[in-house]
Amino acid sequence: MLIIPAIDIIEGKCVRLTKGKFDSKKIYNESPVCVAKDFEKLGAAMIHVIDLDGAKTGKPVNLNLISQICAEVKIPVQVGGGIRDFATAENYFSAGVYRIIIGTKAVLNSGFIKKLLAEFGAERIVISIDCNGEKVATRGWQSEGRENIFEFAGNLKMLGIKNVIVTDISRDGTLTEPNFELTEKIQKIGLNVIAAGGVSSLESIKKLKKLKISGAIIGKAIYEGKINLGEAIKLGKPLSGLTKRIIPCLDVKNGRVVKGINFKNLVDAGDPVELGKKYSESGADELVFLDITASKEKRKTLVEIVRAIAQEIFIPFTVGGGIKTVEDVQALLRAGADKITINTAAVLNPVLITQTAKIFGSQCVVVSIDVKKNADGYFVYIKGGSEKTQLEAVSWAQEVERLGAGEIMLTSMDRDGTKDGFDTEILKKISEAVKIPVIASGGAGKLQDFADALNKGKSDAVLAASLFHFNKFSIAEVKKFLLENNISTRL
Amino acid sequence: MIAIIDYGAGNIQSVCNALKKIGQEFKIANSPEGLCGADKIIMPGVGSAGAAMQSLLESNLIEAISGSGVPFLGICLGMQLLADFSEEDGVQCCSIIPGRVRKFNDGRLKVPHMGWNKVERTQKSPLLSGIGDGNYFYFVHSFYFDAPQEFVVAQTIYGLKFPAIIQKDNFYAVQFHPEKSGPMGLQLLRNFCEKC
Repeated sequence: MLIIPAIDIIEGKCVRLTKGKFDSKKIYNESPVCVAKDFEKLGAAMIHVIDLDGAKTGKPVNLNLISQICAEVKIPVQVGGGIRDFATAENYFSAGVYRIIIGTKAVLNSGFIKKLLAEFGAERIVISIDCNGEKVATRGWQSEGRENIFEFAGNLKMLGIKNVIVTDISRDGTLTEPNFELTEKIQKIGLNVIAAGGVSSLESIKKLKKLKISGAIIGKAIYEGKINLGEAIKLGKPLSGLTKRIIPCLDVKNGRVVKGINFKNLVDAGDPVELGKKYSESGADELVFLDITASKEKRKTLVEIVRAIAQEIFIPFTVGGGIKTVEDVQALLRAGADKITINTAAVLNPVLITQTAKIFGSQCVVVSIDVKKNADGYFVYIKGGSEKTQLEAVSWAQEVERLGAGEIMLTSMDRDGTKDGFDTEILKKISEAVKIPVIASGGAGKLQDFADALNKGKSDAVLAASLFHFNKFSIAEVKKFLLENNISTRL
Repeated sequence: MIAIIDYGAGNIQSVCNALKKIGQEFKIANSPEGLCGADKIIMPGVGSAGAAMQSLLESNLIEAISGSGVPFLGICLGMQLLADFSEEDGVQCCSIIPGRVRKFNDGRLKVPHMGWNKVERTQKSPLLSGIGDGNYFYFVHSFYFDAPQEFVVAQTIYGLKFPAIIQKDNFYAVQFHPEKSGPMGLQLLRNFCEKC
């Protein structure tokens, strides 16, 4: 999120108004140029400048000063106040302004906006939607219009506008908080919204960032020392671009993909190589291959199927089922697996986790944990869910992390194959108890279940099998749904 | 012919599969002699820095790598081994590209950095030919190469901006796994084979 510090100018000086009223003027600095340079030094990526005299009189008054600001700083400057005709817009661009803010005029004359868009492009034009509640305000805020704000924003979008500044003037300069609800609603129309008015704490910035608002203009809060601009900029920056992963799982028995309910009643779901290839090509982020016959009937994983799959797919590929020794791991990695997953062997012989991590790196050790809720909590099950252990789920998860696991795949046996949704309670507990990524497994049925596993369950990835095998949803549909719900995925 | 360096623990099979897929001939090398005659070298990487450096030292590969003069692609650990020093196991590395390998240390984020993340271009490079800015690639690593900005071709955000692709002379290196990054990853490998 872009943090944009504001400079409001009256008679060549840097001022702030409260609720847009001219008689509330307070002078903060004699030199707007110095203020702009300070903002740049603190790391601002853009500056917001308003010619308040211009806004009041309807024509630019502080153009020379603004031109000086543009010359003194390297970062882009957006300017508003009194830009009501094409010639004024041109003058500002010639003065070095990056983009212009149109307020009042936009409400009155859509022909003007069209001309600006045609001449300068949508990136260079921002519409300032000043509102009072849900009504649009006009004329330097001194007389109020009547247009409904959502209708107004919708019309702007149709004209080709991309960026808007939303200011609830009942909050501007009041050092309260922005109108989150209004801002979010306008963003949902499909415009890039920059929130202004009342952005007065780091908390407000956090909240705007969470709502995926494009930017925030901060004015008075900086001048009054309520917000440290450097901190705000740091907070606005994305923490990580890492996306949440969607992982189809192939449970394989006797060379065929199968799917059961609560680990039983297996149904044929296709050929593993064909399905693996299909998922790899349709946007799966990883693939998991579990030889479910292996553990129970003490058979080794089918290295040859792994080799065949690995030649067809070019996304990460995890293999599990019946792995007991470092030699088993090596054979699978040599056949083309990127990670291995162990479950029963991890419980019966925990040193295998450490040995494997030491030789091949912890990134390739995924420990699967099958859990079931009992009267006194969640417990770990082994041997394909047929044997209960005395291990409590959260402490076992912490233990496998300590032993060197790089990732945990957590399956709720109560939910597996039921389509009742993931068990977000245990997911959250474990995700918060360890520092390694957690893959949610068992129970996907609806699109919302995926979002819940990631948001409520705080997991890093979601695994599903039958939903994908039987084409209930495509991977793309799941990802599109997550994106619409502000969860970052790779499309 | 492309030589793929095998230093033991690294899983080279995925890189072999990917090269096969894009129709490139390759051989596996674990000695300076094995690198002879190769017109390109790829050093994949899975495993730990200490063990990998030990193996490179024992097989006398360091000088052969730094002096080969042919286009070289380091992948993941294969990138980090080009640095001066790695905090992983506290080992001296090959000193081919200046910089230090550091551990991710942001309490808000999980380590390893595992999954698909955005790669943003900072300089032009033949490696990125035909690949749009901001594409996703697959990463798995707990350490990153803190290299001088002049060698950084693309960067990624994980708590901080770290180099995703670096380039110096005939040395190219990527922190992610192109062999595991779907069609765009294969494109990057193709670019290395055909355009570098």
